[in-house]
Amino acid sequence: MKSIVSKSYLLIPFFLGLGACSKYLDVNVTPNNPTSVTPAVLLPGAQAGTAFANANELNRFTSVLTQQLAGAGNSPAAYDTYNTNGADFGNQWSGEIYDGALVNYQKLIQLADANNAKAYSGIAKILKAYTFSIATDVWGDVPYSQALQGEAFTAPRLDKQEDIYKGNATLGIQSLFDLVREGIKDLDSPSSVTPGSDDIIFKGDLNKWKQAGNTIMLKFAMTISRKEPALATSVINEVLTGNNYIKTNAGDMNFTFGASVGSQDPRYTYVYVSTFLNDLIMSTRYLNLLTSLNDPRLPIFFTKPGANYVTIDNGFRGTLPTPTANWSRYNKYVVGNAGEGPVRFITNFQRAFSLAEAALRLGTPGDPQALYTEGVTASMTLAGLTPAQITAYLTANPTVATLTGTNEQKIAQIITQKYIAFTGNGLETWNNYRRTGYPALQLSQNATGIDGTLPVRAVYINDELQRNPNFPNPAPQSNVRVWWDID
Amino acid sequence: MRKILLGSWLLSLLFCLPVLAQDVTVSGRVTSSDDGSALPGVSVQVKGTTRGTITDANGNYQIGIPANSRLIFSFIGFAGQEAAVGTRTTVNVTLVPGQQSLDEIVVTAQGIERDKRSLGYATQELGGDKLSQRSTPDVLTALQGKTAGLSITGSSGAPGASTNINIRGITSFNGSNQPLIVVDGIIFSNDVNNTQNTLFGTQPSNRLADINPETIESINILKGPAAAVLYGSRASAGAIVITTKSGRNNNNKTEVTVNSSYNVQNVYGIPTFQNTYGQGANNIFNPTSNNSWGPAFSDVTSVTNFQGNVVPYQAYPNNVRDFYRQGSLIQNSVNIASGDATRNYVIALGNTLQNGIIQNSKFNRTNVQIGGESKLKNGLKVSGTGTYVQTVSRGIPGGNGASTFGQITRVPRSYDLTNEPYQDLNGKSIYFTPSSINPQWGVNNEFLDSQIDRFFGNFQLSYDVAPWLNVAYRVTGDTYADRRKLTLPIGSGRSPLGQVQQDNFFRNELNGDLLITARKDDIFLKGLNANLLLGNNINQRKNQEAYVDAASLTIPGFYNVSNGTVFTGSGENTTLRRLVGYYGQLSLNYNNYLFLELSGRADQSSTLPAANSTYFYPSASVSFVPTDAFKVNSDVLSYIKVRASAARVGRDADPYLLNSVYVTSGYGNNLASINFPLSIGGSSIPGFGISTRIGNNNLTPEFVTSYEGGINVGLFKNRLSIDATYFDSRSTNQIFNVAISNSSGYNTRTTNVGELRNQGVEVVLNATPVRVGGFKWDMTLNYTLIRNNVVSIAPGVKSATISGNSFIGIAPSISEGSPYGVVISTANPRVQNSNPNGQYYDATGQFAGQYVVNGVTGAFAPGVPNSVISNPQANYTAGLNNTFSYKGLSLNVLVDTRQGGQLFSFGAVDARSNGSMYVTGIDRDQPRILPGVIQNSDGTFRPNNIQLPAQTYWGALGGLASEAAVFDATVYRLREVALNYSLPKSLLGKTPFGAISVGVSGRNLLFYAPYFPSDPEINTQGAGNIQGLDLNGPPNTRNFGGNVRLTF
Repeated sequence: MKSIVSKSYLLIPFFLGLGACSKYLDVNVTPNNPTSVTPAVLLPGAQAGTAFANANELNRFTSVLTQQLAGAGNSPAAYDTYNTNGADFGNQWSGEIYDGALVNYQKLIQLADANNAKAYSGIAKILKAYTFSIATDVWGDVPYSQALQGEAFTAPRLDKQEDIYKGNATLGIQSLFDLVREGIKDLDSPSSVTPGSDDIIFKGDLNKWKQAGNTIMLKFAMTISRKEPALATSVINEVLTGNNYIKTNAGDMNFTFGASVGSQDPRYTYVYVSTFLNDLIMSTRYLNLLTSLNDPRLPIFFTKPGANYVTIDNGFRGTLPTPTANWSRYNKYVVGNAGEGPVRFITNFQRAFSLAEAALRLGTPGDPQALYTEGVTASMTLAGLTPAQITAYLTANPTVATLTGTNEQKIAQIITQKYIAFTGNGLETWNNYRRTGYPALQLSQNATGIDGTLPVRAVYINDELQRNPNFPNPAPQSNVRVWWDID
Repeated sequence: MRKILLGSWLLSLLFCLPVLAQDVTVSGRVTSSDDGSALPGVSVQVKGTTRGTITDANGNYQIGIPANSRLIFSFIGFAGQEAAVGTRTTVNVTLVPGQQSLDEIVVTAQGIERDKRSLGYATQELGGDKLSQRSTPDVLTALQGKTAGLSITGSSGAPGASTNINIRGITSFNGSNQPLIVVDGIIFSNDVNNTQNTLFGTQPSNRLADINPETIESINILKGPAAAVLYGSRASAGAIVITTKSGRNNNNKTEVTVNSSYNVQNVYGIPTFQNTYGQGANNIFNPTSNNSWGPAFSDVTSVTNFQGNVVPYQAYPNNVRDFYRQGSLIQNSVNIASGDATRNYVIALGNTLQNGIIQNSKFNRTNVQIGGESKLKNGLKVSGTGTYVQTVSRGIPGGNGASTFGQITRVPRSYDLTNEPYQDLNGKSIYFTPSSINPQWGVNNEFLDSQIDRFFGNFQLSYDVAPWLNVAYRVTGDTYADRRKLTLPIGSGRSPLGQVQQDNFFRNELNGDLLITARKDDIFLKGLNANLLLGNNINQRKNQEAYVDAASLTIPGFYNVSNGTVFTGSGENTTLRRLVGYYGQLSLNYNNYLFLELSGRADQSSTLPAANSTYFYPSASVSFVPTDAFKVNSDVLSYIKVRASAARVGRDADPYLLNSVYVTSGYGNNLASINFPLSIGGSSIPGFGISTRIGNNNLTPEFVTSYEGGINVGLFKNRLSIDATYFDSRSTNQIFNVAISNSSGYNTRTTNVGELRNQGVEVVLNATPVRVGGFKWDMTLNYTLIRNNVVSIAPGVKSATISGNSFIGIAPSISEGSPYGVVISTANPRVQNSNPNGQYYDATGQFAGQYVVNGVTGAFAPGVPNSVISNPQANYTAGLNNTFSYKGLSLNVLVDTRQGGQLFSFGAVDARSNGSMYVTGIDRDQPRILPGVIQNSDGTFRPNNIQLPAQTYWGALGGLASEAAVFDATVYRLREVALNYSLPKSLLGKTPFGAISVGVSGRNLLFYAPYFPSDPEINTQGAGNIQGLDLNGPPNTRNFGGNVRLTF
């Protein structure tokens, strides 16, 4: 037995192992990711998500549907013949909107509330409302009041689009209008910290944020103006009375991207850099429209590398024009010199066109013609034309410059100019088209889709149908109108 | 720490050179009674101990034994014999063929040697001779078809491409399902490190590729949790225990073995193409089309190509085949071994040089191993081994679309791929379709280079405290660095502005094991022997990946990260995990016919919440040999063993799953993307967002509970033996990232959910059908049938996507009621007669199950999303290995089959819908009708009668994300043939050689896949949980060559 005792030191590692465990095993804190952050790093990431949601796949879809672009290959070509289903826009729904921008606005609001950083919560609420409007305008009824709460609601209910815009106290749904109002109110309150360069949109200019918030109220009001004219009128009057909204191009709410790979506007990357650059081309129909109007913005909006603009008709299925290097693509007005964009969320010209239409449609204050001219001028100025050039154009083209005919005809003129001004923002042109029917669009060649008609909504993504039993299954097809789209 | 230990090991080797053995040394020669020839490989065992050796090539053995021991000699195909040594120092034995012994010593968990008859669970052992010189440098591919219960799938014929292995199916939703690999007691990493997205990256190696098959003495496969429980959590997917050659059985003789082989590799298994129609669509030539729907070659003689040149319009029948070169595989190894059971050393050198069938691809490996053991004067036994491996490889990126292999399936039949110029003076790709890269340009410009430097080794001290008590401590280490460089020049499909990435992986694992073994015979009653093992394991695993990603290159042709302008893809990922385990095993043996084994292990893991971090799991097994118990003495029934076991194994989580974290923001995919920090207007703006996964601080371990029963039967003096096993395992409490509604703001939450069940049958049948004179035919049949079923996932969750990369709309998933890994995508709509209110209801049932066709277009009606369309799990697999031997000549022929299971293939759909596949050239001028029915306005159905032109038909059949991409992967294969000749000793008398053998061998010589147009054994996602996808990767190869083995 002596030998056993003398060699028992061999057991030492065994007992060492027993004793030293708890410290030895306490190594499960990740060195790869932060577990807490500041508002200053959450804000830019979320803003970029909203910008991406606006300018990426949803822009390709809607710009093709509204015939500013034509699909030459892959998914844009499918959209162009009205083929879309629940396999589309999964990345937009989850990566860009809900799990990209929105959840981080939600986090930002929580973090800001905890630190009394009212400037951040104000901005986040305004952007959250704007981003939710993208979701509901594209998909109709969507998760809203129960959304973004993680484990509290792993399958949030869908709120009706009507309740999202108007609110529903019974169901505890705050309206988008109230959300924006709350954001503006936060901006009026003292804040422990204020954003600077981390606010990619306004560089921390809180007054511009208030103006943008009020102008977003105008946009929302116009969106529901045909379904809920009374509410729209009261909101517009509220904004006009408050008199703090975007009144100059300098007040535009834009997101500017960078000029290097990995920082660029997706509209640029897609048509100039990616493998799929030859999937999109300017639409012949849009070329014809701008040409017929002698519009001086044509060469500013689209490129002409060769002798002529090279375009295809929407839904065209023949041999594509060659060389592809000569195709007409988005020009610098849309995508910047090297992919900077900007993405124009809310603009001065939009405000003017909206008020012009509202004056005609709802009888809100303002002279429709003056507001219309202001809108056209603002857009042309934004495009880089000089006042002299603009005046010359309007003088030479009185059918463009002057609103004529019935109110409906005037509205058609307003929306057509709004459509042109919003080149590069397909969501706005599609929303306006669905709401007003302007500009009148002929069906694409080879139109198929559900019933050969132009899609008026996106189909809920397949993933959500699989994961969340609150989604209607089968989902409404792309030919079912959303609530505010009355005809 | 490790350095110090290894240093002391070297030191102790120096000390131990002058050694005195305490035992008596006995030597002798074992011969066959047939012809008096020497019998190599005979097991010589000291009765009542685990001490033993094996006879060398000349039948000689030497063993140190306690005085007055008895020796047991056993060898397959011969009757065992027991000899009392007495005072003799030489014991020569002659074995009589006939009664085959089924008593074998096998290495089980933690290196414990066991008599096979005592095992209550299935294991399967393969000798190194079954793996050596098989025209492949990879151990796992050499194992294919030779074992029951294993599923081994190579990913492609690219050199070094990873090989997936699963034992007894898939047991974890999210964790690794690859078995634990143990080499000489060293827990050996078989990880796959990916530099690129697995959908479109280069297929990297699994790290078992660092083992040189020539160094392997034997492989033992511990199939179920019962067998592997002592290894703990990590062996819940089974374990593969590899023992390398040592000098243990050399009888103090120094033996030098030189092995050299040369093999060629040729592309094999690409589809057969049509050669009647050329580039274009709708019978019109189009110089920029990917399609071969152009006019017939007989109708047009010349065309103007994409460069404006008038060229002959003709087929280039071998344009795809000739794209691949002949590959070569040169393997050389030298093994120097000397010593005996108590004092020995081995030095092994190996070198493998492989040039793949893809231009520029290579896989070169160099191994150096030194090992030895010795018993010191004071009785302390010291052993150790250390191996250095360097593996240098170059691979070419694959994947759908913008890669070499994404384009190779779209080459028109009239395009002279190998002779047309592929790059211009600026090094840019020239191709008929400018938006894609020329495959030739891809293989000559896009590279993933890797250099692995790896060291692994062990050091063990063992001491017999008392004759019945041994204490041992073992330290093992395995560490590697993989330095990689990805080069994507300007103009590359995946990175049009160019990209250079330095990607460095580092992995290190350390294990310390204390093993105390006690043995007591005749405990309580005579004939009842007990073995007790107590052990402790301390484990640490560290992984680090650090990468610098330089995008948007400035100077063409300068491939250095300093040439980049955007570095946002750079980063670091480090994980550290630790585990402390305590284990014990009590083995009882009653008169060598009744065995009971009880094991238990408790683990404490760093990856679980402190409150749940300790978990215990037991196993029990019993085996009974009635033929011995009842002393059955029959010429027909020689041996029966029945066995049963039950085991439960716990498994911890991956590191860092407990908390929600923030990640660098980024948006988009391969169409367009941004990544923070953004560079805007000259300043860099950081951005973070909450991760899409919700952490869980209440995780508990997951468990696999397994029941296994089996029987071993030996008939006709064991010339026919059957080993059959039935198993049923349930994996519960799975740690899984359950998908939740994205509108919750998150994509998944980590939680314990679900149940996965595997039931299966394994049969191993060994037979010697013929033994006449010197001629012998041995065969082994392996059969595996596994039924895998996802019993449940989570409340309200019927299906979920498996972690990993996948294309949108083609999601490898778990789905309740389906096997693991099914693909969920859009299915063609079918007529049903179960739901009168549903779509396409046929009250008569006459058309139920048929496809629904659009009555106007003749194409399928809109598909049904979220449908299970492909099941990668095989129905059953089987392998038949035949060895014919006559004197020095032996011929080994291995055929195997996989029945059923489905493959989702982009390549096949591409080649079919673009009109290049052979079938599309048949009767192309004839219209076709899609299978299915059309719904009439009154809701009834009529058979589809709408004729479609061939091009429309093959397109309408379905594209990439459709049922049309799913094929039955059934295949029959002549896997391996090896012919070997050992020169007779009489010829070698005057040469310095002890033995010379020459051989030829071939691999993948022939296959027949009835339902798939090329080789279905392909798996472009590589080793891992996603299986059964062919997303545009390299094809397979057919290898053959010769080898020579010299022994000095």
